[in-house]
Amino acid sequence: MTAPAPPPGPAGPPALLEVTGMVKSFGGAPVVNAASCTVANGSITGLIGPNGAGKSTLVALIGGAQRADAGRVCFLGQDITHQPVYRRARAGLTRTFQLSSEFARLTVMENLMTAAQGHAGERFRVLLLGKRSWRQEEARVLDRARGLLQRFGMTAKGNDYAGSLSGGQKRIVEIMRALMSDPQLLVLDEPLAGINPSLARTIESYLMDLNREDGLSMLIVEHELAALERLSDTVVVMASGRVIAEGELSDVLARSEVVNAYIVG
Amino acid sequence: MSAAAVFYLTTLLVYVGVDILAVWSLNLQWGIAGIPNLAWILFQSAGAYTAAVLTLGPSSGNGGFQSYIIGARLPFPLPVLAGGLVAGALAALVGLVVLRRLRGDYQAVVLLVITVTATLLVENFPRFLNGPAGLALIPQPLSSRFASSIGYAWFYVALTAAVCAVVYFLVVRRITGSPLGRALRATRDCDFAAAALGKNIVGLRLFVFVVGGVIAGISGALLVEFITAWSPGGWMYVESLVVFTAIIVGGTGNDFGVMAGALLVPVLFNEITRYIPTFGSPYLVDALQWVVIGGLALLFMWFRPRGLFPERRRTMALGGPGTTVAGPGQAGVEAGRAGASQGSGAGTSTAAGGAGSGL
Repeated sequence: MTAPAPPPGPAGPPALLEVTGMVKSFGGAPVVNAASCTVANGSITGLIGPNGAGKSTLVALIGGAQRADAGRVCFLGQDITHQPVYRRARAGLTRTFQLSSEFARLTVMENLMTAAQGHAGERFRVLLLGKRSWRQEEARVLDRARGLLQRFGMTAKGNDYAGSLSGGQKRIVEIMRALMSDPQLLVLDEPLAGINPSLARTIESYLMDLNREDGLSMLIVEHELAALERLSDTVVVMASGRVIAEGELSDVLARSEVVNAYIVG
Repeated sequence: MSAAAVFYLTTLLVYVGVDILAVWSLNLQWGIAGIPNLAWILFQSAGAYTAAVLTLGPSSGNGGFQSYIIGARLPFPLPVLAGGLVAGALAALVGLVVLRRLRGDYQAVVLLVITVTATLLVENFPRFLNGPAGLALIPQPLSSRFASSIGYAWFYVALTAAVCAVVYFLVVRRITGSPLGRALRATRDCDFAAAALGKNIVGLRLFVFVVGGVIAGISGALLVEFITAWSPGGWMYVESLVVFTAIIVGGTGNDFGVMAGALLVPVLFNEITRYIPTFGSPYLVDALQWVVIGGLALLFMWFRPRGLFPERRRTMALGGPGTTVAGPGQAGVEAGRAGASQGSGAGTSTAAGGAGSGL
């Protein structure tokens, strides 16, 4: 990883991601309204709230898929508010999606290898230089992809088309693929949604492992609060486009405004 | 074999070469990168017209019965190369308009509008490229060096084959067989996910759109220098659909499959229907050709959507138990598996070569 280290915060762990005053409206209706939050370096931060709270829109604003009407996104101390999606990803901010987003007609291995950053074989000069210019790097990328397949127990599926996998396997491919891009922060939009409970626990343990063993920071949008209780260090609660609470899950769930948001909507 | 038969055969072979270039060009743009370039014929025509006006000489020649711009007489192969360059420049211009903000269906609609508009412009501004009558009497390059027209025809077959070989080995294969091709196929399958992994999808698409445009332009230039004429009637928007059908029939995304499609649809199919006796209206057989080509595309999309020769699966050696694990530490791997097994009871099997997973 070549990205610079995050700047130290005034107190506690340094902030990897700082979102300040984000506003996004669709047709005049504010979906995200002056939302602010931080993700500390090395932490798992949960993003929760009732349906329609604006969580996925906030994630889209952080990832760059949507343009904010106002507000600022700082990542690793750099203002990335106006950067396109691919530049944010190259800086180390990688996200997965609520719906399956596998490259269906590529094999699982190819899905992983596509995510390698700055591959010499993806530069336009391959037209002039041919295979010599990328053969060695391809071997290194292949080796890394093999390692990830082995780590996630997916080696046997390596040469299958990603489109032929089950929903849960696709989720794992998306997580492996994101890891291939050397992220500093992994933003996961409902990684456990629509998956059978046993596989959800498997994915949960992989995520826990990536954080505890490898120090990978994550921001996870998730409805399953029990999973977040096991995974997250802190949670951010959204309702009606606003951030209404931030802290440890057990603490914020005791607050009346959070209870009201879930009950009243 | 009679001289007429040889001439027929050589002409057919030149068309085969040009059609192969055509399907490679559109396959790069659509089959590999997913750009629905319904304006493909525009870029072939740009190459053809450019080569024509750079070969014909001043428009005052031949009694001044044609009016067109530029009117130079450049030596071979400069008109062909210029045809490719102009088509590539036009593709860059169109690509900047179409590929930056629009997606799939909208790209297709705008490209269709652009090709129809271009035909109307050329037809209604006769001083530009001689209007609906088109350009004719384009001199065949190097023909004066051949004693017989048959000898020249064989030379042109060899020339077309050489261009195909150069385009395939130096351009098509280098793109489709490289990580660049893989990135393009990823943008085709899910563009927003590719962007989220750091791929500049606009840059990638623009690149392949221009490369495809250059190949299309060269194919048009080669063809016009052989058939010596080019007019708007020959590059209506439906001509793009023939190339699309060839790719659908042959196998979208497969370099050799689309070659087979080029042989089957624009060459063999067109030649067979040529021998259908005229019945009903004099234009009925011609019209039916288009109907049948459309029907062929529909049939394949319904019953064999990946074509006769589907895009091949690129399998790789997945490694055995001794495979080096790159990236994060092995300790985490084992812990993860243990956690997975405890949590789900499903477990994962990673014995020699990773035989199966419990997922």
